Amino acid sequence: MNFGEKVKCLIKEAELYKTQGLLNESLDIYKNVEVLIEATQNVKNKDRFLAKIAHKIDSLYKQIETELSAPKPPRVSEEAQSVMKEMVAPDEPEAKGSASLASALALAKFGQFDQAIEEFTQLLATESLRTDAAKNILWCWVQQDEAEKALGRLKQWMSGDVLTFDELSGVRVYLEDLIRQAGLDTRVSKDKIHKDLEPESEVDDEDILDVDSIRFEMPRGERKGETAELEVSFQAGKYLKMLVPKKDKRLIADLNIGDYLSGMTFFSPVAIFSGNGYVSSKVVINAGPKKGDYSLEIKILNIQK
Amino acid sequence: MAILNLKNNEIQCKIVYYGPGRSGKTTNLEFIHKHFTKQVAGKMISIDTHGDRTLFFDFLPMGLGKIKGCDVKAQLYTVPGQVQYRATRELVLKGVDGIVFVADSLKVRREKNMMSLKDLHENLKKMSIDIRRIPLVLQYNKRDLEKQGFPLMPLEKMEHELNRQLKVPSLSASALTGAGVGKTLSQIMKLTLKYLQKEFHWAQDNSS
Repeated sequence: MNFGEKVKCLIKEAELYKTQGLLNESLDIYKNVEVLIEATQNVKNKDRFLAKIAHKIDSLYKQIETELSAPKPPRVSEEAQSVMKEMVAPDEPEAKGSASLASALALAKFGQFDQAIEEFTQLLATESLRTDAAKNILWCWVQQDEAEKALGRLKQWMSGDVLTFDELSGVRVYLEDLIRQAGLDTRVSKDKIHKDLEPESEVDDEDILDVDSIRFEMPRGERKGETAELEVSFQAGKYLKMLVPKKDKRLIADLNIGDYLSGMTFFSPVAIFSGNGYVSSKVVINAGPKKGDYSLEIKILNIQK
Repeated sequence: MAILNLKNNEIQCKIVYYGPGRSGKTTNLEFIHKHFTKQVAGKMISIDTHGDRTLFFDFLPMGLGKIKGCDVKAQLYTVPGQVQYRATRELVLKGVDGIVFVADSLKVRREKNMMSLKDLHENLKKMSIDIRRIPLVLQYNKRDLEKQGFPLMPLEKMEHELNRQLKVPSLSASALTGAGVGKTLSQIMKLTLKYLQKEFHWAQDNSS
């Protein structure tokens, strides 16, 4: 086969693959043609020929790029959504026996996030499904690269009464993990999450007496429900700072930023009062005689009169 | 998993068309939709992305008539063949009863066929399904392209490379012209119903 016939044959094959949508295969052949022309001397109109082949190669690259760029999942018809819902059986372990949760999960897995969020939101009203529904709403936002919206939604729940304190704590930990796993923590740092999610206090700084010590029930862990007492080392209005020695490992491990402490008792030189608090900071001391101990900050959210 | 409704004498099974991208899975379903109008029991649902490539799945419900007094219904699905849609393929495979593996006969797609079969094997394994046990039919598609000058793999070679160990029924086909499409469907339905009969004894229960 002479040069002309060989090139013709290769171009025909490349075009055939293109008609089949086999763009990579077509590209490979055009590249072979380019090499063949370049390596052959005395080709008539060589530069023009090469320019034509280069144009073909460019156009194939563009088409491949378009195909590979993962398109945002389109919103599909209601019929297609029904098929998606049917596809994921209600006995999915994560659905915990609920057909409605399973069908919302199916929509989420197929990238039908708006509809899935709508269905999960309805499930917030069902106590047994509430935490799963809330977590899945946040998952949907994070999947769409919208960590800020997830944060906003959690903040909204924190200021309302949709989720209990315990549920909120769990959901919050889940969101922090989710953001970290999705690699979005460079944009939405832990500090930002903590700052954004810190609940407002109902009390003014000047209404709060000096507090010497506090008593509260451990909100989680092995000591959940047990009473703990800490001395206040510094107070700035509603913010109380306590030093927790490093030897008290369990207390340190089981108290985390974002924990709600309900039914706290505050001891002041003039009165004892109760209210609710929130763990707003937990920092390890890195220098000085207290190195290794923890500085814990609790924000007083309200006082029961 | 098949749905058996003994009260209504009905059995519904799920058949998934699997295979590499551009091997002709959607074309198989399109042909069935267009030419098996009596058996087609509803609209074909397709969700395409750029360049007519399947993004999620195609879906075609079929009513295949009565067998031993039982209404047999099948839901045909395709998976997206492109490598990056692995998670979607896993979702679509859930509850599968029978599989048609659509292999591309083009020589240049040889490796893609093998990779896709391996992907199927792995996805089934995740669902604790043995590829040697589930009803499976291999379809060597695009045989008509030889006439247009495309270099194709000889059937014997495809059989050796893809079916040497599996030893499942295989058929040559051209989904575009329809050659072998009906036979493939009928073959997978036979295998699936036989398998379900063995597993659940649905026809026996029904006739008693």
